[in-house]
Amino acid sequence: MRSSAHKLDVPLWLGALAWLAVVGMGLASLAALLSRVTLGDVAALWRDPYLMGVVRFTLTQAMLSTLMSVALALPVAIALARRPRFPGRRLLVRTMELSLVIPTLIALFGLVAVHGRQGWAAPLWQALTGGSAGYLYGLSGIVLAHVFYNLPLSARLLLQALERQPEANWRLAAQLGLTRRAIWRALEWPVIRRVLPRLAALVFTLCFTSFAIVMTLGGGPRATTLEVALYQALKFEGDLAQAALLALVQLTICLSLWALALRHGGATQLIAASARRMPLGRWWRRDALGITRYLDALWLAGLALLLLPPLVAVVVAGLGGLPDLVSSGSSLWPATALSLSMATGAGVGALLVALTLLAGSAQLHRRERSGAAALMEGGGQLILVIPALVLGTGLFLLLRPSLGGGWQGYALVVLVNACMALPFAMQVLRGALFDAPVAQRRLADQLGIHGIARWRWLVWPRLRRPLGLALAYAMTLSLGDFSVIALFGSPSRPTLPMLLYQQLGGYRWQGAAATALVLLVVVVAVFALLERLSRRLPRYRQSRYWPTGARRHA
Amino acid sequence: MSQQAIVGGLALMALLGSAAAQAEDTLTVYTYDAFVSEWGAGPKVKEAFEAQCDCRLRFVALDGAVGILQRLRLEGEDSAADVVLGLDMNLMASARETGLLVPHGIDLAPVSLPVEWRDDTFVPFDWAPFAFVYDTQALADPPTSFEQLIAAPDDLKVIIEDPRTSTPGLGLLLWIKHAYGERADEIWEGLQPHILTVTRGWSEAYFSLFMNGEAPMVLSYATSPVYHMAVENTDRYRAVAFDEGHYLQVEVAAMTRHSEHPGLAREFLEFVLGEQFQRQLPLTNVMYPAVDIGDALPAAFDELIDPEVYSFPPQTVARERRAWIDEWLRASTR
Amino acid sequence: MLECRELSFHYRRADPGETPDFCFDLALAPGECLAVQGPSGGGKSTLLSLIAGFLDPSSGWLSWQGDAWHDLPPWQRPLTTVFQEHNLFEHLPVWANVGLGLAPDLKLDAAAHRRIRDGLEGVGLGGLHDRLPDALSGGQRQRVALLRALLREQPLLLLDEPFSGLDSDNRQHLWRLVREQQRRGVAVLLVSHDSEDIRALADRRLSLIEGRLTT
Repeated sequence: MRSSAHKLDVPLWLGALAWLAVVGMGLASLAALLSRVTLGDVAALWRDPYLMGVVRFTLTQAMLSTLMSVALALPVAIALARRPRFPGRRLLVRTMELSLVIPTLIALFGLVAVHGRQGWAAPLWQALTGGSAGYLYGLSGIVLAHVFYNLPLSARLLLQALERQPEANWRLAAQLGLTRRAIWRALEWPVIRRVLPRLAALVFTLCFTSFAIVMTLGGGPRATTLEVALYQALKFEGDLAQAALLALVQLTICLSLWALALRHGGATQLIAASARRMPLGRWWRRDALGITRYLDALWLAGLALLLLPPLVAVVVAGLGGLPDLVSSGSSLWPATALSLSMATGAGVGALLVALTLLAGSAQLHRRERSGAAALMEGGGQLILVIPALVLGTGLFLLLRPSLGGGWQGYALVVLVNACMALPFAMQVLRGALFDAPVAQRRLADQLGIHGIARWRWLVWPRLRRPLGLALAYAMTLSLGDFSVIALFGSPSRPTLPMLLYQQLGGYRWQGAAATALVLLVVVVAVFALLERLSRRLPRYRQSRYWPTGARRHA
Repeated sequence: MSQQAIVGGLALMALLGSAAAQAEDTLTVYTYDAFVSEWGAGPKVKEAFEAQCDCRLRFVALDGAVGILQRLRLEGEDSAADVVLGLDMNLMASARETGLLVPHGIDLAPVSLPVEWRDDTFVPFDWAPFAFVYDTQALADPPTSFEQLIAAPDDLKVIIEDPRTSTPGLGLLLWIKHAYGERADEIWEGLQPHILTVTRGWSEAYFSLFMNGEAPMVLSYATSPVYHMAVENTDRYRAVAFDEGHYLQVEVAAMTRHSEHPGLAREFLEFVLGEQFQRQLPLTNVMYPAVDIGDALPAAFDELIDPEVYSFPPQTVARERRAWIDEWLRASTR
Repeated sequence: MLECRELSFHYRRADPGETPDFCFDLALAPGECLAVQGPSGGGKSTLLSLIAGFLDPSSGWLSWQGDAWHDLPPWQRPLTTVFQEHNLFEHLPVWANVGLGLAPDLKLDAAAHRRIRDGLEGVGLGGLHDRLPDALSGGQRQRVALLRALLREQPLLLLDEPFSGLDSDNRQHLWRLVREQQRRGVAVLLVSHDSEDIRALADRRLSLIEGRLTT
């Protein structure tokens, strides 16, 4: 069994309560919709060829996207691991971490500006193929957009797994001069194999539940996913029963996939929390010399070309609209403030619930109740597969008698956003909590270090960085959210994504582009700020006698 | 910790909910988000109406016309809405079916629409025909009918919205159905090679794709060029008049059955047809006002196409919509 | 003969002229065993890493039989290191771990397989051919590592405290293997702070204190 966490001094009942709240909320909102289903609906759903087609297409595009994202992420991650130093590497890796939280509308805008028929890449495409660049629409466009989102994410996670190899292994590999093939077999594949099932399941789930991308780039009703059908049922038909059934189908497919992945995958954390720099001589890998230099350069250039131009396009378009914004005392800044405060609420909420659940799970582990522990942890992940729209609508139905409107709506949005960020926050934190060495814990027990001192000196230093990152993910995911807030609506005070849609609805292209830029900047700033804050060195002085680097190499 | 926060939050929410309900002279209006934005009609309307009624006007912004109806449906009789503003003609039947709306009882005499309007529940406040907008710099000679569009070379692409998720999308579906009846599926099949993509909503189609030059034509409203002319001072974007005539879009308002301020609600609906309200619409909603406002109508509106317009009765739309959408699905996935 | 001349290393980028953190001079003849001892953190591992090529020296000279090789990558240097731990790849079975010493791409022919099998028999691990390192004791792991080093047949063997923490039977066994190599002309550089190891193997000893070697 895995080593368990530091004692967090959080009572188990609190963990159980948090679990009940999260799982209860998810299932209750689904049940609130399901309660309107009759047996006849189920039968009708099953026989509907349209819906069967939808399920088929959803599966096809998700599988294709997952395959492309993960398969291409492998060489990219290997190239990145093999090239620990080159100008721009840090920027590239940071951007990869961000890809998960870029709001869809912004990504779409960037993708169209680059890959569209009039995009930056169109002349190149024309020169190469002679035809006009129509590849952005249809299945190829969907897959491209999903690869844009998920390849960087996958490569980042694989890179992290690769970089977690003990330095001694690399020393050994250098000594023996392992070739590419042997490095793959002895070092890379063993760690990748452990991460792959969960990674594939995560990417598949994200692609499976993707919505705006599929609808904009799909090219027509042939490209309809379950999520689209669900949106249609919920918003246009007002058919709660059908929506619930579709959500149930989605839930079943994704959950069974996760079950499969968890059974075959090792328990590695899924979100890149921190990467330790490897100590390097000039020749730390035999396979880093010779022709692979050019191959790696090719892969990394490919990654940069996939990831950066769309973002640059957003920035370029946004800059044009900025003067417009600054002059007209606009609602941009209040919207930014509102978005930030809601995101902070959702982020802190997600963090607290995640910690409570993880601490509970760790306690169960210590008591050798690994089944219960897994269940406790799995509860937090459930939200990943319940569509936000279902969660929101279900909650709305449940809470309706006491729901006035106004800022209660905002509170509910914060709550739902916190739940949606929960799976990601937990992924970041679980590594930090679970990987704490047993020996260290025993030592602390023996020395009688408890309470605040234990937190201050043992837990906090380990947890600080993951906490910062978890908060950053939770906050930025909530910053970009539109689906939930659109459901609950608001009196006149929009959040940033709402403002963006309002501007679009009001023909304010310039303003919208600037808002998109501001949103992107805020997302980046939240990441940068939290990383800076959480990275600051502890306040005790470092011994001068042992320079920081010395212990690693000695 | 978090648990208590959630419980506490919910309790507080409940408390405030009841407090809000007790405020006596607040008129709550459900509308769509673009209406209440700072450049929309909302702020000026609020100011003008509050000066007149000695009450507070509270807008709740929802995600489009469909969002308003969905919210109303979900809330049922507990809804805080006194008035709903911004449903469209094709949602009228469904909205009426909920039984949550009551006849307005106001005088519709000032209404001036291209079609006759005699509904006792819904007050029209603006209108525009659906139309294809094209970029004159990319397309000198646009097709002037669906059949011409079908006959055009395959590289002439248009962007349309999905009838399952967007108002203009449904508009196009009804437009073709009205113009071609039984032949609608033929037209759809013929259009397939020309459809670049089918987007979720108008914003994606118009902003993300059309303004980026992805296709020279987009499904929008005949009034869309007004914004470009009046605000951006360019006549680069124009609507094209189709020989088949155009399908009409009318936006409507109505009052709710359970409103605690029926008097105020009626007063607001009358205000909606007044000049103060109507004058705001041409450049904020970029639609024709439902009332003749004479010279207050911006000059740019004179430049627009003036096609023949028509529409189905709302009940027909409500009854046939699903079948027609299925027909469209079959035709476009064939 | 192994020769190090003013092989120096800075942990931080130093101003020109600043005294380096480490600076080593030593010579080692074939068949000889030189022990280096000193307090932990004194630079013992740094010395081995510089010789083996895991670290790049800031300046200095390194040669074997007169051929300079401080510009060669680790795998082309005429030496093998056995570390204190982490000598084996955990995901490869014993035979593959040994086989990497014969073929760094793991393409092993029948003859190579035979050598691995015989070698394992020779160090008393005949039955553990297909095991994963997980299932081996500390002494067995070090024997596998040493066997691999021997199969590489390099004239120089670097030992980075490879016997610490082993029981006396295992130690004796490993000492015997090392002495056998010495007799065949292999030069051994042993880093240790264990006087027993040094007494058993070393012909000569140096102390490493604050980055400098002294007798």
